Amino acid sequence: MKYEVVIGLETHVELSTKSKIFCACGGHSEADQPNDCVCPACCGMPGMLPVTNRHAVELAVRAGIMLNCRINQYATFDKKSYYYPDLPCAYQITQWFHPICTEGYVDVPTKHGVSRIGIKQIHMEEDAGKLVHDDWADVTYVDFNRTSVPLIEIVSKPDFRSAEEVLGYLEKLKAMLRFGGISECEEGAMRCDVNISIRPEGSTELGVRSEIKNMSSLTAIERAIKYEVARHIDAVERNTETLVQETRRWDDMKNRTFAMRNKETAADYRYFPDPNLMPVVVDDEWLKEIRDNMPATIEQKTAEYASMGLSGQDIASLVSERRLCDLFDAVVASGRRPADTAAWILTDCAGILRRGGKVIGELDIAPEALSYIIGMVDEGKINRGVGKKVLGAVIEKGVSPEQYVKEQALDAKVDESLILDTVKTVLTENAKAVSDYLGGKEKALQSLFGSCMKVLRGKGDPAAIREILVREIEKLK
Amino acid sequence: MTVENLKALESLNEFRLTEAEEEKALAVFRFMEGEAAALQSVNTEGTEVMVHCMPMTNIFREDVREQAFTRDELLEGAPEHSGDSWIVPRLVK
Amino acid sequence: MNYFVTEIDRAGTVAVDDTILVKGCEAKAGSHILDGFVPLFSSDAVERLVKAGFTLRGKTHTGEFGLDIAGETSYHGVCKKADGTLSTAAAEAVAAGAVKQALCVDVNGAPRRGAALSGVDFLKPTYGTVSRYGIIPTACSGEQVGVCAANAEDVEEALSVIAGHDGKDGTSLPAEKYEYAADKDVAGMKIALVKELYDAADEGVRAAIDAFRAKLEKAGATVEVIPVTDVKAYATAWQIMLSAETCNNISRYDGVKFGYRAPVYKDIDELYVNSRTEGMGFTAKMNVLFGSDVLSKNRYMSCYDKSLRLRRLASEKMKEIFAGFDAVLCPAMSALSVPAYDLAETFERTERELLFTTIPNLTGIPAMVTGGVQLWAAAFGESTLLSIAATAERMAD
Repeated sequence: MKYEVVIGLETHVELSTKSKIFCACGGHSEADQPNDCVCPACCGMPGMLPVTNRHAVELAVRAGIMLNCRINQYATFDKKSYYYPDLPCAYQITQWFHPICTEGYVDVPTKHGVSRIGIKQIHMEEDAGKLVHDDWADVTYVDFNRTSVPLIEIVSKPDFRSAEEVLGYLEKLKAMLRFGGISECEEGAMRCDVNISIRPEGSTELGVRSEIKNMSSLTAIERAIKYEVARHIDAVERNTETLVQETRRWDDMKNRTFAMRNKETAADYRYFPDPNLMPVVVDDEWLKEIRDNMPATIEQKTAEYASMGLSGQDIASLVSERRLCDLFDAVVASGRRPADTAAWILTDCAGILRRGGKVIGELDIAPEALSYIIGMVDEGKINRGVGKKVLGAVIEKGVSPEQYVKEQALDAKVDESLILDTVKTVLTENAKAVSDYLGGKEKALQSLFGSCMKVLRGKGDPAAIREILVREIEKLK
Repeated sequence: MTVENLKALESLNEFRLTEAEEEKALAVFRFMEGEAAALQSVNTEGTEVMVHCMPMTNIFREDVREQAFTRDELLEGAPEHSGDSWIVPRLVK
Repeated sequence: MNYFVTEIDRAGTVAVDDTILVKGCEAKAGSHILDGFVPLFSSDAVERLVKAGFTLRGKTHTGEFGLDIAGETSYHGVCKKADGTLSTAAAEAVAAGAVKQALCVDVNGAPRRGAALSGVDFLKPTYGTVSRYGIIPTACSGEQVGVCAANAEDVEEALSVIAGHDGKDGTSLPAEKYEYAADKDVAGMKIALVKELYDAADEGVRAAIDAFRAKLEKAGATVEVIPVTDVKAYATAWQIMLSAETCNNISRYDGVKFGYRAPVYKDIDELYVNSRTEGMGFTAKMNVLFGSDVLSKNRYMSCYDKSLRLRRLASEKMKEIFAGFDAVLCPAMSALSVPAYDLAETFERTERELLFTTIPNLTGIPAMVTGGVQLWAAAFGESTLLSIAATAERMAD
């Protein structure tokens, strides 16, 4: 028999706020050490009260707008109770009764066309802490840095029919959320619960469902789905086991899923409205403000850059990272030419980062600094090679370009007599190359030119140097 | 409320009662069940829930980071800690 | 009997109960499970008192998480009156003149009962006027810090200091400051006496109400008996919420992060179970069990959700009453004194007393105990309560 796979996803995404959702501690990505970003509330001490981070709500609404959701004008925070050492208060604040967004969709490109995946709801909640298990000392260390970091949980409808659609959805989601400034989606900051069942093709009833908890790597998700589908088909066709609705976890080493122990899954979470948190009402005025402040989408940026005349490849590279777009936009706004600016970012900056084993996404340069360097080159105050050298120092050493140029005297006007002296010296010291050139080997000129540049340490206008070099060497004929 | 249900509630809430306490607790549950049953005679149709007795909406703080406490202070009263983390018996074996 | 679980400064004139945090001063809320917990910050109310020049005398004993009649379930020592009957340590400290004022958290009426039992005043202000930042939480939706003192003027003195907006409490109302007065004219006031509550109290209490009523009438007020038919259902609703919220709030005490940890355990489950079994008394556990049950999937709608709807009915009922009356007069409790009893009975006995004290916790209106009786007013009607109390206090019995 042929089976249809039915998958639904619950995706948890950390929001890019400066502080946690209900207290003023920084997010865990700021932390160097365990428990660096904690306060009495994060470690469950009584007395502090939760107060909602306005920006976290705005980012959740922004996500809802991007995922074509209805933004609810009445949302509440509710408490969910269970015991686990990573949950310091033994309850998690979430949105159970009235989530902030409902009923949306995402269009996911696949090999067979576009699949529209329905979004049931997006709700806000706080993250739990982190546990580090130490086999040697036989203990578990509890770290509350991540406790109360704001999350949105994006709950899809059971609309996926293949692992390919799941991966396509997650990649699209990640790109949208990163580009929209909603989440950095760093390693581990996007986690999924995957609900899987199978049914005979053509059937409309749902089969027995298993939920694989807390998956963060795309490859693991793909493997887990394949494993579960095979397990379900075996159970149905060959009676290898009786399927029950249960929660399972993926073991990446053993390459299979395991049922989680009953106590972890049978809990009654005893949800109730949090009396300490007032309802959130996103009225039309606030919604408009959030819409007006939304960054352009990938599609909008692509169109904008195309109208500036950038190449398709440059556009694709820029829109792969929101911060590249932000940098590009700021530099262009300061008066630099778009195509030129794109080249500086995507060729020169990328090259310098690659030299240090980094990728373009890690680029960290102030737009003013890049604009200054491009301007110096455009105005002929330094040549492009020197510009690249300055750029390298700015990116790698974090120096200020103005100061670097001044210190290294890179913009000093080189007078013609110095160039002439240099050329003469080089010609005297490289008799072999000179005779090669005069004997017809044009290439020898390049090595002589290189030597001049080296002596001049990049100073001087290369065209002028070449002109003098050619003039002087021709005199020797 | 049965003894089995009561024991499940104890387990859910991570404590145990003695047998004598369980007997007493069952009596309290019987008493409260009567009280709760009497609630149903009050008509609440058309009445919305009221979570907050002095209702407001949109109470927020701005997204500003502040670190007012140190890890050492927070760990000071911990029953067991490693200098940077709380310690519990190993969870995954 | 010592009133204080922790002494701070013998020269101090104001006490706070042990569910109100004072930075650096161990806070146990009457429970073994908080042993050794030293808060890193003070409650907003304490900050305001200190800033206004008050000196803290110490922290008074409180029943475990404030869930009893009048402090009898404290793990660290129970305050009794000279005759061996019960009252709260805070009210006794005020009655004995050990302090001028005592702040107490009122979540189930215990501080009001204490004031009635010890013959002093206690005012629970309107919900949201005093910040709850820095109090050990039990039922957040109805608990409020109030002031115990020997007379209305002394209550007003401390209350005007501690009330006002606090951004660290998301339920704190916006007014920066509240102006209270104890000198409003009682003549012409209309007072409602709740029939069901009057009938439910014993003879001694009814005599006290009658005497107070006579004073009010002598001062020129009119008193009218009115029915509040669903008062019993409101009390049950508040018991449901109180236990549910308490269950949730005190589940954080687990032996992991601070406070008491059982000496013997072999894994995390035993660490939790042993710490909580040894660390909490029966009444706290009983509230957890009952509260957990009313929040369970099967019972949520018939118990918790129903209670939230009853809160609205109660709130509307109060609006209706205060549209026609300045204040409500009723007993603070069923009897004038509480002899010591078997503490296995605390949950039910306290639940019965909630009949008299619930509505102000459930609906947020202010309540005051004075002269052994209780008065309620509409939200922000503290001055009415203080003025009635002050007037009665000036009149000879």
